[in-house]
Amino acid sequence: MSKAWRQRIHVLTSVFLVLLIGVFTMTPLYWIVNTSLKEPGTEFRIPLEYWPAKVSLQAYRDVLGPNFRIQDAIRNSVIVSSSVTVASLFFGSLAAYTIARLRFKYKIQSLMFMQVAGMMPAIITIAPTFVLIRSLGLLGKLPGLILPNIAYCIPVVSWLMAAYFAALPFELEDAGKMDGYTPFGVFWRVIMPLATPGLFSAGVIAFLGSWGEFMLALTIGMGVRTMQTVPVAILGFSRNFDLQWAWVSAGVVMSLAPIILLVVVFQRWVIRGLTAGAIKY
Amino acid sequence: MRVHLSERRLAVLLLIPAAILLIVFYYYPIVQTLIFSVFDLDHTTDWLHAPFVGLGNYIEVLKSAQFWLSMRFTLYFTVVAVFLEFWLGLGMAMATFWVTPKLRGLLRTLIIIPWAIPQVIQASMWKWLFNADMGLIGDILVKLGIVSKGPLFLVDPALAVHSVIAAYIWKTSCVTAIFLMGGLAMVPQHLIDAAKMDGARAWMRFWKITLPLIKPTILVVLLFRVGDGLRVFDIVYGLTGGGPGTMTDTLSSFAYKFYFRFVQFGLGSAYAVVTFILVFSIALYYIRKVYPHFTFRG
Repeated sequence: MSKAWRQRIHVLTSVFLVLLIGVFTMTPLYWIVNTSLKEPGTEFRIPLEYWPAKVSLQAYRDVLGPNFRIQDAIRNSVIVSSSVTVASLFFGSLAAYTIARLRFKYKIQSLMFMQVAGMMPAIITIAPTFVLIRSLGLLGKLPGLILPNIAYCIPVVSWLMAAYFAALPFELEDAGKMDGYTPFGVFWRVIMPLATPGLFSAGVIAFLGSWGEFMLALTIGMGVRTMQTVPVAILGFSRNFDLQWAWVSAGVVMSLAPIILLVVVFQRWVIRGLTAGAIKY
Repeated sequence: MRVHLSERRLAVLLLIPAAILLIVFYYYPIVQTLIFSVFDLDHTTDWLHAPFVGLGNYIEVLKSAQFWLSMRFTLYFTVVAVFLEFWLGLGMAMATFWVTPKLRGLLRTLIIIPWAIPQVIQASMWKWLFNADMGLIGDILVKLGIVSKGPLFLVDPALAVHSVIAAYIWKTSCVTAIFLMGGLAMVPQHLIDAAKMDGARAWMRFWKITLPLIKPTILVVLLFRVGDGLRVFDIVYGLTGGGPGTMTDTLSSFAYKFYFRFVQFGLGSAYAVVTFILVFSIALYYIRKVYPHFTFRG
């Protein structure tokens, strides 16, 4: 077979593979977008319309209206996830710095302590956490969601940051000391600025992790509508308005758009971050 | 003011905030749940004033048919889901290395998007796709002439079990693919090229070179996927709520019902502890397998 033919077959199979995987991953999203663009009520028309006969934004207007107010849920999720991201990046990086670069006897044990926590099923912690948040008077309030979620993000953040810190040259500490920095100054002024790409990956992963957290949000939210996060709100849509899938779909599209955008824009960092753990061993 | 700290003091100090958070929201609740599980907590969490029942809750749980049904479903779910997401994930990961460089970025984007979608929202999406009369999947099956009427994906017991798995692996096979991409990126190209020169066919190169080289990554990925399968909750809660009946209730979703629907914290905790033991043994195996390979300076 000539080289040109091989080339052509490679291109053809590549296109085929991309189409195949694209159909697999995108079909559910396409169907939701399709449904969200139908006039509410017409999504039940048979035969099914694979593209709305008449594109309508009514479902979007409805979910932004007084009956749904998806924007409240999105705002709550943005508040929760950004606070959780900032706090868990800070505390997680502190711990990761000790594990990756400082002289300390119990590094492995500390890493284990954090990673084992991160692997635990939510169901084993949920009841006492509920009791704890209730006794703090934080049920149905956003801080009651933010505090536990910071803890939930620390294992993955410290894991990724430790991998990132460990890859930086160790001469940096000596140079920093020579420049007159205290040990903490070395961390804060020398190492942290160099770890910005690592902070990006860990940040996006923490943001998405807390954005999608469900069991705690369901339990602490106590059905208070004004403090629902996106996952709880969407579940409520599909439960309460079971028959109006145009509304549910519009809610799903609006709540997914920001995070899908985030992931596509930061794709390179996300993949690097996610694979860092797997590569280490 | 400048405070001078020795390196060791600083090390401890930097660990403290993370350690406190993890103790308060992981280790303390785990211990508390273990305590809950040996008390008779009917509509209360006040274990200090509740009757101590020892292993009574566990005996009651182990004797109930419900428990064994949810245990069976959880294990079946995990085995089937991990099997499917591994092979689908490996296929997608290898595809990203096979395709022409121009398409590689696009393919990665297509694979990473499902990863971003929260599991409960994924459940809502699939609930609509699985709608018997107006769902896309039933409609396609009818159009292909496979069935005459959209199947009751979430109502028929045998179908519901597999529908939950299908909805779950849509996202998790992409997650698996992303992790395996990291492992595949580590396979030195010169080894593949050398095998090509020796005339090894594509599938031989895969079995004899690629697969053995990414074995460590595969082990880690599989352990994490098994752990994730054993504790599955969100997709079940959102898609079927455990139904029809309790056919698709997992250990986690059953424990949750005991906690917040029946308000039986003792029994719920016993369910939760069983889930915990399963996942914890995976975690311990991971630690024993992987941690000896870690080295840190200092």
